[in-house]
Amino acid sequence: MPEKDKFLEKMGSRISAVIDKEKRLYFEVQDKNLEDVVNYLFHKMGCRLSTATAMETFRGIEVLYHFSHDASGYYFCPRIVMTDKDNPVMHSITPIFNGAAWIEREMAEYWNVTFLNHPRPEPLLTKNHPKGEGLNQPFRIRRKS
Amino acid sequence: MSNVIPVGPYHPLLEEAEYFTLTVDGETVTDIDLDIGWMHRGHELISEQKTFTQSIYLVERICGICSTSHPLACVHAVEDVDNIEIPERAAYIRTLVGELERIHSHLLWIGLAGHFIGYDTLWMWAWKYREPILEMFEVISGNRNHYGVMRVGGVAVDVDTTKLKELHNILDIVDKKMDMIAKAAKDDPVLKSRLVGVGVLSKQDAIDYCAVGPTARASGVAIDVRKDEPNDAYSLVDFNEIITENGDVYDKLVVRVLETIESTRIARQCLEKLEKVNGSILNDVKEIGIGEGIGRYEAPRGEVFHYVRTDGTNRPIRHKVRAPSYVNIPTFQASCKGIPVADALITLAAVDPCYCCTERSIKIINRNRDRCQLELLKLSREKTEKIRREFYGSK
Repeated sequence: MPEKDKFLEKMGSRISAVIDKEKRLYFEVQDKNLEDVVNYLFHKMGCRLSTATAMETFRGIEVLYHFSHDASGYYFCPRIVMTDKDNPVMHSITPIFNGAAWIEREMAEYWNVTFLNHPRPEPLLTKNHPKGEGLNQPFRIRRKS
Repeated sequence: MSNVIPVGPYHPLLEEAEYFTLTVDGETVTDIDLDIGWMHRGHELISEQKTFTQSIYLVERICGICSTSHPLACVHAVEDVDNIEIPERAAYIRTLVGELERIHSHLLWIGLAGHFIGYDTLWMWAWKYREPILEMFEVISGNRNHYGVMRVGGVAVDVDTTKLKELHNILDIVDKKMDMIAKAAKDDPVLKSRLVGVGVLSKQDAIDYCAVGPTARASGVAIDVRKDEPNDAYSLVDFNEIITENGDVYDKLVVRVLETIESTRIARQCLEKLEKVNGSILNDVKEIGIGEGIGRYEAPRGEVFHYVRTDGTNRPIRHKVRAPSYVNIPTFQASCKGIPVADALITLAAVDPCYCCTERSIKIINRNRDRCQLELLKLSREKTEKIRREFYGSK
């Protein structure tokens, strides 16, 4: 697929740990490079953010964005791993486009991830409830990937 | 001077609990704020404690209308982990059930939209002719809803070939009536004067908010999972992707009406193929390996997205669900600003929002899991006791 090859060539060392499956490309990105990668995916390639998945692994808190390249049916999935489980911090991609606003707010309240520069960093689903910490964590501790 | 009009969380227009705050200047909406979080379902978390097969039944209950779309996206995700193939007959059955779901969902919305603007004839027509589709589901699966058809590696229910003629006949009835509804909806001067130019979502806003489904296609964004990543039998059937340009409520109506007609075409092609294609409906899947998979399906409201990560056991260690309403609802912030208050409610309804889909997750305030369960048990017992007292008095 030419778009994938061009993306890999353009991103170069900014991405690592690439897993290339049929129509799926998973790769790791450092927080400092996330803006460049997302800008390229959204503005240059015309990808659409389907959603993002947060989870706890042995390495830390992981946030996996799912960008759909609708013209080809391909998925580009940048993965950000935050090793400080008690205080995971990363930059928000909502300033780039509004479609990420809700899912980042949800991940912030469920996984305690602080999204820097998020225009509205308040809980999405538990706005009217007392602040819980890492709302899913009691379950995660038992089963890690 | 600005005033605030609260809509919800319990409002006649909203079938489910949701809360909108409209800031108005005179009659014009100047801002809208959305407050979700009134329902907590816990599907993602529960799914991680179920086997892959059990999860299919669970996600089927995320939404009563998309009760094929979620299981289909879920099995696509699990199949994506190991690139599992499905038999051809199963592909046609999946596509048939998926398209019948689209017809009944769109008819449901068309009826509701008619009702919201006071056009009750359209409402009664649409819901009357939705009934035969539910009968088709009953013929195929035995259920009018929650069909239990999907399985990893194929389908659980075969379509009885002796019933194919009956299914064709029902589809003939729906086809004729859809033509009538399409004419009534597209050419009606009342509908046009009420809906044209109302709640416009521009193409740029649809892209910016990552909108999906008819909401995006009505704004000229050509995205449809059935075309972009044709799973199941979508690469084997002929159909058109319906796209309009204006992005208003009327275009959203037109997209859904025309998509319903396309869906009847697809369903008919599947029925014809099921007469000829025989064989297995389910491949034997012994185990799911370690990995991650993405599954999606074009639900009536747009792309349903499921992500699973597996560790080689029979359960997912992470199961992420994203319903189309989750990305379509925030578009209100673009489509509702600057419109009169009277148009706001039909604009809110135009994306066909499903709040129980949107709020598929759970909140756990207490870190102690056992205590949480005990609290839930206590609440359940208190409710049962309250109901018992209401029925039998204080005995």
